[in-house]
Amino acid sequence: MQSYSNQLDTLFVSGNPVFMAHTYFGDPSEEFSLRLIDSMTKNGVDIIEFGIPFSDPTSDGPVFQRACKRALEAGMTPRRAIQGIERIRDMGIIAPVVVTSYYNIIHRMGARDFIEQIAVSGANGVIVPNLPLEECSYVYEITREFDIHLIQIVSPSTSTARLNGILQVCQGFVYVTAVSGVTGTRDNVQTGTLGLVRRVKELSSIPVLVGFGISSENHAQALVEAGADGVIVGSAICKMYEGCLHDPFVSLNKIQEFVSAVKHGCVHGMNRR
Amino acid sequence: MTQNTEHGPYFGEFGGQFVAETLMPAIKELEDAYRDITPNVSFRKKYHKYLTHLVGRPTPLYHAARLTDDLGGAQVYLKREDLCHLGAHKVNNTIGQVLLAKMMGKTRIIAETGAGQHGVATAAACAALGLECVVYMGAVDITRQKLNVYRMKLFGSEVVPVESGSRTLKDAINEALRDYAATSSTTHYVIGSVVGPHPYPTIVRDFQSVIGTETREQVIAETGRLPTHIVACVGGGSNAIGMFSAFIDDPVELIGVEAGGKGITSGMHGASITAGEPGVLHGQRSYFLQDSDGQILEAHSISAGLDYPGVGPEHAHLHAIGRVQYVSVTDDEALAGFKKLSRLEGIIPALESAHAIAYLEEIVPSLSSDDIIVVCLSGRGDKDVSMIVELEEGT
Repeated sequence: MQSYSNQLDTLFVSGNPVFMAHTYFGDPSEEFSLRLIDSMTKNGVDIIEFGIPFSDPTSDGPVFQRACKRALEAGMTPRRAIQGIERIRDMGIIAPVVVTSYYNIIHRMGARDFIEQIAVSGANGVIVPNLPLEECSYVYEITREFDIHLIQIVSPSTSTARLNGILQVCQGFVYVTAVSGVTGTRDNVQTGTLGLVRRVKELSSIPVLVGFGISSENHAQALVEAGADGVIVGSAICKMYEGCLHDPFVSLNKIQEFVSAVKHGCVHGMNRR
Repeated sequence: MTQNTEHGPYFGEFGGQFVAETLMPAIKELEDAYRDITPNVSFRKKYHKYLTHLVGRPTPLYHAARLTDDLGGAQVYLKREDLCHLGAHKVNNTIGQVLLAKMMGKTRIIAETGAGQHGVATAAACAALGLECVVYMGAVDITRQKLNVYRMKLFGSEVVPVESGSRTLKDAINEALRDYAATSSTTHYVIGSVVGPHPYPTIVRDFQSVIGTETREQVIAETGRLPTHIVACVGGGSNAIGMFSAFIDDPVELIGVEAGGKGITSGMHGASITAGEPGVLHGQRSYFLQDSDGQILEAHSISAGLDYPGVGPEHAHLHAIGRVQYVSVTDDEALAGFKKLSRLEGIIPALESAHAIAYLEEIVPSLSSDDIIVVCLSGRGDKDVSMIVELEEGT
């Protein structure tokens, strides 16, 4: 059997469906984020997508825009967030961590410093929403040096020619956006998404996770049944504690139930293939 | 994986296409359309027709004799973009982009606006060309610029208030980008300045280059030679690039004037080149006002049109190679320039353009009467009068 150094690769070898949950660290407080991450990983979440709050999150919808704003107002900074990854590891959480950061944060710190620091802190991958194929070569080389996977995003409007180019540099998994546009919950999975999952599967053996607009067990089941290796959920979780910001901890039970159900949907979808 | 920097999207180390993958197909489509459609005779003829008969070009080059006497140095000429239809240079770009979008088969136009000038110019172009138009505008700016909101609605546009972030121009751009990512198959996003991902800075520069081309011909026809200096205000920098583009290879001193706000040391300003750092936002690598973590800061200027925390990437490049000198002028100095031009020439400049007028005090007295300095008077100031009245009555 092939051995992998990056834990993200190990995760997909089992063939079980994979659930990645996205949260902006520090929203509304660092302590809440740590508890949320701990609780989610104990209830079916396989990968933590660890967002570093940014002042201008152009690829995010209103829910995550508010999350970034709250986290920044509460004093979260990129360096404190990266230390947060260490805290997660100190808590004994072993789930892979994929850091999401807009490029200006990385550019400002210096890409080498940034990638080295997240690697040392225990991250396994990085997503940079505004760093498309055309601009990613510099960061790509650095991520390879530190065994951090640079996750690539594809959308239903991505042409086959672009898809081929993107798949060539893909590491870890492909992030398929279920809709064109920005993050945020939607009612239905668009048919273009299922087609895109199949297009990727025909071209490559790399795992496919689908995000943007996933907000229910049924979405998760439909996507995995159609061939996705798993799903990514973000705004739907944020919405659940956004309703009780005075004491977000009271939402943790509901969030536990929700993530368990999504994971159940993934498993059910896999069984129905 | 590396972009071709020779013909590609960079100006030196600035520019680029730092956008989400969801936007890349739209950006590539625009790149192709711009390359294939705009050089065609049919496009050029239509664009020229609108510039002549709707915008009212060419705009005059005016020798400001009383201002020249008052300053006691170089001969001062004003390029009268304030006489464009709607009162500012913005329409040169919006007519071009809306026409391009129509020829691309797009049916819907979106735009961002700060003070409302670009929104009004886009809305008018859409009315003239029969396209649906949606303008994103920060909620704070909507209350500050009621008249322009009404004008956009008169032209049949929808104005969408943006409640996120600082609720100003930067946030309106964020929101327009989000709309564009979801709707680009039917929609074209008309960016109002030489900012954003490639090909926008090039497209907007090319549509604004008419300012420089006309000025060059007019100044040579009137004086028999090139000017010695050119001054233009710089927010995103579209009027300045349009003016500078015709003189880049000439022995002409080019000066860009940024918004100094309450002074550079106060931190309350919009001077991205003078006081910002290289960064990446809104699709481009350029200079931005930002903190040590890379969080983007809010800009401040008395002039809403200069109230943007970044600058176009070509300006960043022209600064880096030393071709253009970038300076700043404070709110108070701009206000003095606003009043001086009104008093001496009977021309009320936009507060944006008043920054360029104000800088004349710095430079003109030390020049000789043989020198020729051209100021790009990018817009008229009627839009600013009521705000200034309130400001003065409040103090």
